[in-house]
Amino acid sequence: MSDFDYTHIDDVIHSRIRTSIMAVLVSVEEAEFNYLKEKVNATDGNLSVHIKKLEDAGYVSVKKIFVDRKPVSKYKITNKGYKAFENYIKRLESIVKNNFKN
Amino acid sequence: MSTIEAESELSVIKKIMEDSRRLNIDNGKHYLMWGILVTFALICNYIMLLTKTGGQYIGIMWFVLMISGAIIDSIMKKREVRTLKANTYAGNIVGSLWLASGIAMFIYGFVGLITKSYNPVFICPIISTSLGISYYTSGAIQRLKWLQNVSYGWWAGAIFLFVFPSIHSVLVFALMLVAFQIVPGIILNINSKKFLESEAHTLNV
Repeated sequence: MSDFDYTHIDDVIHSRIRTSIMAVLVSVEEAEFNYLKEKVNATDGNLSVHIKKLEDAGYVSVKKIFVDRKPVSKYKITNKGYKAFENYIKRLESIVKNNFKN
Repeated sequence: MSTIEAESELSVIKKIMEDSRRLNIDNGKHYLMWGILVTFALICNYIMLLTKTGGQYIGIMWFVLMISGAIIDSIMKKREVRTLKANTYAGNIVGSLWLASGIAMFIYGFVGLITKSYNPVFICPIISTSLGISYYTSGAIQRLKWLQNVSYGWWAGAIFLFVFPSIHSVLVFALMLVAFQIVPGIILNINSKKFLESEAHTLNV
C-alpha cells in the first residue's frame, strides 16, 4: 500500500491567493510585486501577508533592487516551493481521480 | 476537500499558468535594430564593391558596426530586464539562443574570413543558414508558427546564394534582411503592443 495520503493538503499553499501566487511564480522565472498583485487581484496588504507566509515556509525567495531609484521586490519560487507545489497538484489530481474510481 | 473544489482549483491553476507563460512576448526591437544596422552595412559594402573604393575598410566597417550593435543590444536588454515585471523561462531561452547565434555569426564572419577559411562570397549564405536555425527554434519556443516559417525564407535564400554566387550576393542578402528580419520585427512589435494594450484593458475591467 502506498503511503501517499491524498487527503493531506499543504496548508501553506491551500488558500486561493497563495495558490495563485505559486501558480504565477512556477510559470515565470521571477516576478515583481506589482505584477503578482495584478495577476492575483489582491491589495498590497493582503498580498504582502500571503507572500510572507510563503517566504516563511521557504517556498518563495525575495530580491530587493532599485529601478530608477525606486525599490522593487522581485519574487522567485525556490526548489522547496516547486516541489511543494508539484505535490499540491498531485494531491488535487488524486482527489479528482479517487472520486472517479468511487 | 471535495472533488468539485479540487477540479475548480486545478482549472484556476491551469489558467493562471497559461496566462503567465504568455508574458514576455517578443517586442521585435532587437530584430529591428540588427536588421537596420546590418542592412545599412550591407548596402555600404555593396557600394564599396561596385565602385571598387574603400575595399580595405570593409572589414573595419563591419567590425565597428557589429561591436556597436552588440553594445546597443546589451543596453536595450539591460533596460528591458530592469523594467520587466516578470521574466519567463521561454524568454530567457530565446535570449540565449540569439546570443549564441550572434557569437556563431561573429566567428563565421570575422574569424572565418581573417583565416581565409572560405571564399568571402559565401559569407552571406552561411549567415543565412545560421539565421534560419535561429528563426526556426525561436518561433517554436514562442509558439509562433509564422516566425518559424520565416526560416524557410532564410534557407531558400541560402541555397540561392550558394548556387548563384556573385558580387550581387551582398545586395540579395540585404533584401533578405528587409523581408525576413525587418518585416518580422515590425510584425512582432505591432503584436507586442496589441498584447500589452489587451492586458492593460483586461486589468482595468
